[in-house]
This record gives sequence, C-alpha cells and structure tokens, in this order.
Amino acid sequence: MLNLNFQPILLALLQALILLALAPLMTGISRQMRARMHSRRGPGVWQDYRDIFKLLKRQDVAPAASGFVFQAMPFVMFGVMLLVAMALPVFTHHSPLGVIADIITVAYLFALARFFFSLAGIDSGSLYAGLGATREATLGVLVEPIMILSLLVVALIEGSTNIGSISDSIANGYGQSPTAIVLAMLAFGFAVFIEMGKLPFDMAEAEQELQEGPLTEYSGSSLAILKLGLGLKKVVMAQFFIGVFLPFGIATDLNAGGLAMAIAVVAIPVRLAVIFFLAALVENSMARGRFMLTSRVTWVGFGVAALSFVFYLAGL
Amino acid sequence: MTMTSLDLLFVSVLLYVGGAFLSLLFARREELAIASAGVLGALGGVAGLAAVLPVLLSGHGVSFAMASVFSFANFSVRVDLLAAFMVLVISLLVVATSIYSLAYVREYAGRGAWAMGFFMNLFIASMVALVVVDNAFWFLVFFEMMSLASYFLVIFDQDEEAVSAGFLYFLIAHAGSVLILIAFFILYGQSGSLEFASFRKLQLSMPMASVVFLLAFFGFGAKAGMIPLHGWLPRAHPAAPSHGSALMSGVMVKIGVFGIIKVGVDLLGAHTAWWGIVVLAFGAVSAVLGVLYAIAEKDIKRLLAYSSVENVGIILMGVGVGMIGIATGRPLLAGLGLLAGLYHLLNHAVFKGLLFLGAGSILFRTHTKNMEKLGGLARKMPYTAAAFLVGAMAISALPPLNGFVSEWFTYQSLFTMSREGELLIRLVGPAAIVMLAITGALAAMCFIKVYGMSFSGLPRSEHADKAKEAPAAMVLAMLFLAVVAILLGLGASVVAPVIAGVASSLAGGAHLDVAQGTLLFPGSLVQATLSTPLIAILLMATPLLAVLIVMLVKGVRMARRHSGDAWACGYMQEGHMVVSADGFAKPISSMFGAMFNLRRTMDPGPLLQSSMQRLIAAATRAEPFWDDKLVAPVLRFVPWLGRQVQWLQHGDFRVYCLYVVAALVVLLVFTV
Repeated sequence: MLNLNFQPILLALLQALILLALAPLMTGISRQMRARMHSRRGPGVWQDYRDIFKLLKRQDVAPAASGFVFQAMPFVMFGVMLLVAMALPVFTHHSPLGVIADIITVAYLFALARFFFSLAGIDSGSLYAGLGATREATLGVLVEPIMILSLLVVALIEGSTNIGSISDSIANGYGQSPTAIVLAMLAFGFAVFIEMGKLPFDMAEAEQELQEGPLTEYSGSSLAILKLGLGLKKVVMAQFFIGVFLPFGIATDLNAGGLAMAIAVVAIPVRLAVIFFLAALVENSMARGRFMLTSRVTWVGFGVAALSFVFYLAGL
Repeated sequence: MTMTSLDLLFVSVLLYVGGAFLSLLFARREELAIASAGVLGALGGVAGLAAVLPVLLSGHGVSFAMASVFSFANFSVRVDLLAAFMVLVISLLVVATSIYSLAYVREYAGRGAWAMGFFMNLFIASMVALVVVDNAFWFLVFFEMMSLASYFLVIFDQDEEAVSAGFLYFLIAHAGSVLILIAFFILYGQSGSLEFASFRKLQLSMPMASVVFLLAFFGFGAKAGMIPLHGWLPRAHPAAPSHGSALMSGVMVKIGVFGIIKVGVDLLGAHTAWWGIVVLAFGAVSAVLGVLYAIAEKDIKRLLAYSSVENVGIILMGVGVGMIGIATGRPLLAGLGLLAGLYHLLNHAVFKGLLFLGAGSILFRTHTKNMEKLGGLARKMPYTAAAFLVGAMAISALPPLNGFVSEWFTYQSLFTMSREGELLIRLVGPAAIVMLAITGALAAMCFIKVYGMSFSGLPRSEHADKAKEAPAAMVLAMLFLAVVAILLGLGASVVAPVIAGVASSLAGGAHLDVAQGTLLFPGSLVQATLSTPLIAILLMATPLLAVLIVMLVKGVRMARRHSGDAWACGYMQEGHMVVSADGFAKPISSMFGAMFNLRRTMDPGPLLQSSMQRLIAAATRAEPFWDDKLVAPVLRFVPWLGRQVQWLQHGDFRVYCLYVVAALVVLLVFTV
C-alpha cells in the first residue's frame, strides 16, 4: 500500500493553495506593469481576481465539434499545475512531496499539461485554436531541451535529480562550479520566461493569433478555471526557478523555528513579485518576432545551457 | 501431471502452427479459417505467457537439447531470462492481435483471408522459436522463416505500393541476414560448433570480436529499423494488414534489438566500451530523426512506423548504456541501462500494438489512412478513441503511464553514466539526455497531431462522417492493451524488479535494487525517486478542487451549452479552414529542414534498389555472353556437322550396299 505520512501531504496542499491564491495577483501585477509601461493607467493589480470571479458565473459555451478533451482540459491544466505546486520546495529547501519532486518527472508533468492544452485547441474545431495548438507544441519542442540541459548541470553537481536535494546544495553556496551554476540559471531563466508566455514568444492578450490560441473557444466557468490554471502555471514556473536557483531566505527544514518560518512565508509573494517584475520588464522592452524564426532565438538559450555544461566539465 | 515451462512453450508453438495449418485447411470456408487462426493464436499467446511467467518470477532459466535431423546442429532450446522476457512480450501482444483478427480479417474475406491466418501464425511461431533456440543454425532458419512469413504479409494487398515495399523489405532483410550469417560463421570457425553455448566460451581477440559485433549490430540493426537502415520500415509496416503491422512494429523490430543484445552482451560479453557508445549513438540519432520524420507524415500508419524507428532508438539508448556499464565494470549502470531498454521494449510493444490496432480500426471503418480525410471520430468511435488516447499519452511518455516509467529509467541510467568515468562518457551521457528530451517533446507533438487530426474537430470526409464504432472483438483487443499500458505504468514497482532481474542476469548477476513499496529508484534512493501511483492519485484528486470551485461559485450561471460553430472571425466556418495535418507539422518541418534533407542522402534503400537494378542489368548483359561464346557456337556447329554428314545419306540404295561391303572389309582387316 501507499506508505504516506499525512503531514507532508497537508503541507504540500497548503503551499499549493498559497501559490494558487497568489496566481491572479501575480498576473495582475504583470498586466498593471505593462499598462504603466505603455503609459496607460491599467486596471489595477486585483483585476484578474474580478475577471475570474465574473467568468465563473457565466455560461459555459462549447462548439458542437468539440469533444471530451476540450471539456476536460481546463481541469487537467489546473490539476497538473496544482500537483507541481505541491512538489516544489516552497517553505523549506525540501519538497514536501520529495518522492515525486524529480526534475524529469516535473518536466514531463509540464509536458502532460501541454499535451492536453494543445490537443484541446484542435479538439475545439476552431481554426485559430488549431494554429495556437501548433505553436504551443512547437514551443515545447524548443524549450524542453533548454530546460532539461540547464537542470541537468545542477543535478550533476549535486549528484541527484531530486529538486529538494539540488535546492539544498545550492542554498549552501555556489561553491562547486559557480560559473556553471550561474550560466545554468540564465538558461533556465530563459526557458521559464518562454513558459510564462511572454513576448517575443507570446502575447497573452492576442489570443487569436499566438500561443494562447487554444483559449479561443473557451468561455464562462471553463475559461475561469483555465485562466486560474494558466496563472498558476506562470507562478509555478517562477517558483521552480526560485526553488532551484535562488533558494535563499527560506527555512532549512520545518523545525527551523517560528521566526524563520514567518520569514519564509512572507518571502514567497515577495520573491514571486520580483520575478514577475523582472519578466515584465524584459517583456515590455521587446518587439514581437515572427514565429517561424523562434528557433533562432531559442538557440541562444540552448547555447548558454551547453556552455554551462562545458564549464561544469571543466570544473569552473 | 503438471506442465513444465518447456512443455507449455511447446504447446504454445504447436497452437500457433496448428492455427496456421487449420487456416490453410479451411481455405474454402473462410469464417472457419479466420476463427481457427485467431482462437488458436490467442490460446498460443496465453500458453506462452503461462510458460514464461514462472521463469521470470523465479529467475531461473530452463534449457533442453535433442539431436535434430541435421548432424551438425542439435536442436537446443534455452529459455533464459532474456528469452523468457521476449516470449512474454510476443505472447502478450499476440493475445491482443489474435482477438482483434477475429473481426478485422473479415475485411479480407474472399481475398485470401485463410492465407493471412496461415502466414500470421507461422510468423508468430517462428519469432517464439527464434528467441529460445540456442543454436546458430536453427536461429538463422527461424530468422529466415520470420522474414519470409512477414514478407507475405507485407505484399498481401498485391497493389503496386505493397509489392514494391515488399521487395525493398526483402532486400534489406536479406542484406541483414547475410551480415548475421557472416558473424555466426566467424564464430563457428573459431569454436568449431554451431551451439551458442560454445560461442559463449570463446575468447576472441579484440579486433575479431569487434568485427563480429559490428556485423551483427548492422545485421540486426536492419531488422530493428535503426537509422540509417530504416528505409524499408515506414513502407513495409503500413502495407501489411493492421494486426500484422502491430506485430511487426511491436515485436519483430524488437527481434533486431534482441539480436544485438544476444550477440553483443550474451555471446561476446560486451567487454569493449566503444561498442556501447556506438549502440547509444545510433540509438540517439534514430530516436530524434525517427520522430522528426514521423511528425511530417499524414498517413497514419506510416507515421506510426516512423515512430517505431524513434522508439527502437530509445530502446537502443538503454542497451548502449548497459553495454558501457558492463565494459567499464559498473554493474549498477549496466543493470540500469538494460532495465531501461528492456522496459521500454515491453512498453513499446504494448502501446505501439495498441496504436496500430487503433489505426486498423480507423481504416476498417473509414477506408483511409490519410489523416487529412479523418476528423471527428471521437464521437463516432468513443471506445477506440479512449483506447487510442491512452496509447498516444503512453507513447508521449506522459506520467503516470508506462512510457514515462521506462523513459524515466533511461534518463536515470544516462544520468548515472554522466556522473563519473572518462571524459568521453561524461560528454556522451548529457548529449544523449538532451536528444532524449527533444525526442520526448517531438513525440508529444506528433501524437497530439495523430489524435487531433483523426479523432477531434469536424469530420473532413464522408467516410469519416459515416464511421461507427469498431466491432466488439477489435474494441476488446484495444481496451486490453490500454489497460496493460496503464498497469505497466501504475504497477511499475512490481514490474521493474522482474525486468531488473532479467537485466542483472545479462549484466553479470549483481542484484539491482529498483523498487521499495510503491517507490521506484535507480539503484540509489538519493539520486532520484518516482511513485507513479502517488502521481496518479494526486492527478485524480487535484482537478476536484477546480470542480469544487465551479460548483461553489455559481451565481445565476446557466447550464453548459454544447452547440454551434467555432468562431471564425465572423465568417461561416468550413471544415477545410482548420489546421491540416501538414500545417500542424509546418513549424517543425521548416525549423528542422536540414534534418529532412538528411533523410534523402542517408537512406540506403534507393542505393540498394539501384544497385539491384544494376545487378539485373549486368546479369542481362552477362547472359548473352555465354550464349554468344558457348551456346551459339555449339548451336552453329551441330547443324554444320549435320550438313557435312548429310551427303553420306545420299538415298541411293547402291551406295548403301557399298557401305556394307566397305564395313565388312574393314572388320575383316581388323579381325585378321
């Protein structure tokens, strides 16, 4: 039988719920920042909560051609992201669900979400959603190698693919191969930036033409759940980045004492906000690119990851 | 009396052969032929499973030998763990395809369905016999039987494409056989016996062993469909009837992998590290290019065939790591690599079998393999769609299904390899990991396309519009395989130790720890852990929170509406507006354009075919040579001689008298 201890499950659930609750705030901050940088007033950082709440009360309309996958996708996206949120190290260096907090497992959980997200685009029977599906899947092909290679470098340094172990060893200093770790961080940050759905790879508001195309046919409560799921995906991505490469200021373990835990809890939204702020800054200083040329840009990310590996081999 | 494993195995082969000949016997009554081939095939599969499961679970192989009709080759059988594992893979898939054939082959009634049953069962029997014999002569005999029987399945449709694909298959299969033959002959020359047991005892010099290994590697690699020897595979597999394609892609290509393990590890001991690197490199290239070519296809069966090239590549990656582990004296690494390869071998047989059967059901109902003419089948064929979706997710290595578990082990074995050792090995490991990551993402895209184009959206042809659910036997076979795919994923902590036993028997016998409770780990709990049941439970539980939110925050929401067209910017929606199979793959085929050019330059198929044509031309030229120089002169000489002799027979009776007198005189002179 499953030999589970319930305390870690509860902690995992707690941190996942915190990340879920923060998700609309973080996307709201992104929106507000973009508005300000465009010299608009913007809707305020709470707008995404209002949007989701409103959508939940609206009717769900699906095209006749759509099928089971279309209907299930928002829930799959939401569920997978919540699962990843449970597995990441958030309060402490160790993941509360250590047995599944493996970089390969997490990378393939993202692939699971992408599989349904893209498939739902085709399943809707809409022409725009179909194009969005192609783009989403293509981006996956371009991003996944960068993500795996940059994580591989830190995993090799630690000798483990467990996210908690990696986080723990990095928190104790960049001692071994510091250059390699910094380069891996840059490459992984690049991958996270793409996954957060940012320009020049995506523009969340231009739903009919770009990556979020699969959203085209969603409405009402389905759209609300999907928006929550996609927001959570962005937060989870940022937290993944923080947990692996910047695990500072969080408690070493659960017995660290009240003050350390309090700092750890407060640190969560602060660090997320910083990551979203930086991402928004980069995004809004970019122009949009042609999709077919995306691979030329992602080569840069891959190059940095490869360079990081070379530095690791050289022991730098 | 209890039956031993060997008895059961014998019964299993007997059932296959019996099914084959009964099918032949009932040529006039095809429904009986179909039923006997299918039912006896399925029973044979069950007997095969019953035969090898005790062997695998106990970890003790059995063997048996008897004199055969040939004095130079004993009929020796050796069911070691690897052979038992292969019989398990074959039998498992055969149970499904045989049940499937009960309904599917009716499509071929009147077109020689009885012959199909005959060749199919013979094909299966020869594969089972092949993996358990322990003698080079019988091995080659069964290898040839397998190739020939499957050749007849490939050309079954008798149209131009099938015959031409069959010819290419025939050529490459036999080019491979020749290489294997040479490899075995070198071993025979050294040991003086055709028994594999004598090969195992040989101490070959390094260069000699390497030559044997490379010959066997490319010989079996051609059978496995490894790039660049894959050219026949995407043409031959789709041409065969779908349950035949399932067996060819699911099992027959694995015979190639089995051969590489048999010769490289079992017979030669894998004592040289670069052999493993060669296997790993060919595997990684096959994986990436295989799936890249798969994405660009719009014929569903060709796409699946290319994806088999990819999966053989992934299996070979595991095998390569295992061989490196053996050569560098790292038993843990060796066991992990072989475990990953063998686990993926089993998994691929299950989900590729399932997908080919699914493609067969689509073909059965819509009469097209072209995905551009499908669409919307999920509503018409819900069970087929559900089973196919499971297969598509499994082959895309999505957790918690079986494909993910074996790819996770492949990643972990590569990771273990990268952690220490020579610089080259530490460089090769991460390169292979990156290629596996690209393969994984491409495979997901590829199967989004297959499922999306076939089962989602609006139907794009009349046939697709009028399709209905496949017959019960076919649905049953697909659901069976889908359930097996799920169980091999969720029950990985039960399955992995058994396969680890097979792997460690090949890697020198050191015990390999890979599971504890429901937890999987690659030999060390520190390096990584995985729990597929936990992932499955959480994946079922977490969406409930979303359901809860939808239920609680309701307001005055109206019920869900499921009608109307998709939004088309204000225009009326039409079926052909949506993204096509080609369009879906367009970004990839343009971004990786160079890789597609590579296919044309690297494929030896055209070269083989053109050299065959040159050979025929040369033979045509050479043939008149004998006519001109030998036959024609003789032909001219005989009438000439006749003409010379003709004047003797002048026809005048007095001349004949003269001959008589002359003869008498001559005789008199001699006697006196």
